[in-house]
Amino acid sequence: MFKQVMFKNALRLGLLLAGAAHAQGAPATLTVITHDSFDVDRKLVAQFEKANGVRVRFVKGGDTGELLNRLILTRRAPLADAVYGLDNTLLPRARQAGLLEPYRSPNLAKVPAAYRLDDAGLLNTVDYGFVALNYDRAAFARTGLPLPKSLDDLKKPQYARLTVVPSPATSSPGLAFLLATVNHYGEAGAWAWWKEARTNGLKVTRGWSDAYEKDFSKNGGRYPIVLSYASSPAAEVFYADGFDPRKLPAQSPTASLFLPGSTFLQLEGVGVLKGAKQPALARKFVDFMLSGGVQADIPTRMWVYPAVSGTRLDPVFKFAQQPDVLPVKASVTANPQRLVDAWVTNVLRAR
Amino acid sequence: MTPSPALRGWLLAFPPVLFILLLLVLPLGRTLAEGGVKLAIWQDPYFLGRLAWTVGQATATALLALAVGGPLAYLLSRYAVPGKSMLLRLLLLPFVTPTLVAVLGLTALLGPRGWLTGPLGIDLDGTPTLLILGNLFFNLPVMVRLAYGGFSRVSPTLTGAARTLGASGLRAALTVALPLALPGLSAGFILVFLYSALSFGLPLALGGERYATLEVEIYTLTAYQLRLSEASALIAGQLLLTLTATWTYVRLLRGGVGVPAPGLPTARGGVAALLWTLVALVVLICFGPLLAVVARGLLGTGGPTLAYWRGVLTDPDTPLLLGNTLRFGLLALVGAALLGTLHALGAWLARSRTLDLLSLLPLMVSPVSLAVGYLLAYPALSATLPMLIAAYTLLGFPLVTRSVLPALRALPPRTLEAARTLGAGALAAHRTVTLPLTLPALRGGAALALATVLGEFGATLVLTRPEWATLSVGLYERLGRPGERNLGEACALATVLLLLAGLSFTLLDGGEGEVT
Repeated sequence: MFKQVMFKNALRLGLLLAGAAHAQGAPATLTVITHDSFDVDRKLVAQFEKANGVRVRFVKGGDTGELLNRLILTRRAPLADAVYGLDNTLLPRARQAGLLEPYRSPNLAKVPAAYRLDDAGLLNTVDYGFVALNYDRAAFARTGLPLPKSLDDLKKPQYARLTVVPSPATSSPGLAFLLATVNHYGEAGAWAWWKEARTNGLKVTRGWSDAYEKDFSKNGGRYPIVLSYASSPAAEVFYADGFDPRKLPAQSPTASLFLPGSTFLQLEGVGVLKGAKQPALARKFVDFMLSGGVQADIPTRMWVYPAVSGTRLDPVFKFAQQPDVLPVKASVTANPQRLVDAWVTNVLRAR
Repeated sequence: MTPSPALRGWLLAFPPVLFILLLLVLPLGRTLAEGGVKLAIWQDPYFLGRLAWTVGQATATALLALAVGGPLAYLLSRYAVPGKSMLLRLLLLPFVTPTLVAVLGLTALLGPRGWLTGPLGIDLDGTPTLLILGNLFFNLPVMVRLAYGGFSRVSPTLTGAARTLGASGLRAALTVALPLALPGLSAGFILVFLYSALSFGLPLALGGERYATLEVEIYTLTAYQLRLSEASALIAGQLLLTLTATWTYVRLLRGGVGVPAPGLPTARGGVAALLWTLVALVVLICFGPLLAVVARGLLGTGGPTLAYWRGVLTDPDTPLLLGNTLRFGLLALVGAALLGTLHALGAWLARSRTLDLLSLLPLMVSPVSLAVGYLLAYPALSATLPMLIAAYTLLGFPLVTRSVLPALRALPPRTLEAARTLGAGALAAHRTVTLPLTLPALRGGAALALATVLGEFGATLVLTRPEWATLSVGLYERLGRPGERNLGEACALATVLLLLAGLSFTLLDGGEGEVT
């Protein structure tokens, strides 16, 4: 009797699993792997599916760094047909690993040259954002200090002990900030800056969430300066208690702190994976990500700027400023992993 | 000719063992094979330091848990305490709380400007206090329950006899009850040590760079730096440590809770003061963070508010999150109950320590290394529903085994014999004796497995898809965005998860479940 019950259960489980597997076997499925923050209006995706007679299956590949490593691990049996979310800091490794099949979308013509990722079309820029220091207006005012004016100011004890940044080794904004400092100071100078800042009280957390949600004074932490994005002040307004789009506040509780050499332009792109089972549909998806509907939809979902020029932005973006960013030296983005390793040895584990 | 019990046991345990081979041993081996094992990493003082810290923090947690949980369990087993069974039952809740929820609660209470640390002006930033308290939050319940099991098997008449012969209460406890309950206490100590040494989410969220454990380093090396050969060396070292500790644990273990003696006296004077202090301490550590999360979901910047709950309840995605959570939870529950019961029956019949040890493996192996193994070994199955459910089942079924096994071992053999003597066939004897006596444990184990799976953040093990978002994923995503509404809504979702875990206990468990 007992065994019979168990047998029935086994049968039922098998049927359920088989049913679930069967439901996935629809014809012409396009698989798109993305980073975890990816979000787009489902209606737009439904339109794309209808227009191309395809079912789109999105797979979450972890955060940006994890996503790349998972693609490298599985390059012999690719997980997907297209990938969205790799950025300019990861493109060199993606190129080296031979992950991507070149395809230049016609829509790329509407993306300003400064925002294009590469000429071959391994990645087509969908959006861009600025990794930037933010500060908590109220908490900073309480310190009675003037705002720091340069990275040299920031490493001094009075400012370093007010600052928290996510680690370059385990977070993508952290990596971008590391590259910005290397670009600004050169390698040796950057290690010296980081070491001094750390000695003077700069806090390094693992991920962005730890820094922003726990240590940033706006969210109950002790540090009024945090490394985040230039769009975060707009997101603070959007996600504030009692947000009403018709009654926008005078200013955001936080603001960006554009110290020269501290910001980094992050370009996120979409591309076709080598070994894709549906290469033609994957190319259509690349075009779709650069189409007007998607471009207008993503800013308030992912807090980034649309790459195609002339796309209308939600009014809440008036609370975010775009810094002037100098182009980064090619040597800085050539092999970011080497710089991370050097940072780990020279700064994080230095005694 | 009927097969020997040992053979029957191994046959019964075949499906779960095969499952462990396919979902654990093979992927793990695949991970180790991918990049080779670079043992030289163990000469690096940095990683030796990580090993020392991993062992150190786990030992500290286990000692603290023993210091608080041991005496409390002894007093609970010797005195009539109102609400005793309720307390023991509620203590299962922290054990199945999702890590993120615990982190939210601990930070709300003890973080910078926390509700406790703020007014007292204590700054715990840069200390491992939160990490150790987090470990205790999850593991004090394990210690109290296992130690209670150990002490309750020591008959009060034995300590009573010692008292009659002139020993003081303390002396009776130390010279009579303690030696007899020692295996239970040691087993609790080792289990707490293991859970604390291997926990991943807590040190990741609360340890920062400075207090990273081996498991966190394994994660960094695999997920971010793709240095598989170095990660593999750490995995191998950690596995060696784990298997040694687990083997010791399995040898020490005695199953079952003793029958509580009737007519226990009420504690008085100093003993009562000590008892209630310990109860208060355990309640504070184990339920404080949970209450803080609930409160945080109801308190806005401008005082009490229902806005976060309204936000969660009106979000068009919430029904999907809830539906997925329940769907995956129930599917995994069926798998876990089935495999767990088979494994327990097999290990019981075969009297095999190997099977016993095997059932603990899924709780002991680094999920990070498994995740890589799944990608490498089963690329075609990644991001498919069967893989997701299988991964959830792997996490849940050991809890069923560990719950049913002690109940089976505690079955009085003579009862079965009596049934047979009275004319019952083998099947009928099992149906009328084995099943009713082990059903409560099965229900308890199933409740634990379900609650664990409900709160599990599946993405650690397998690639997921947006349409499979669960409550934990919704919580995690909100924590990934700026703004107070996101934090408040995350706490409201955490409350929903806790309510679900509580509900699964109420529906499934009669309060008899014990995990060992």
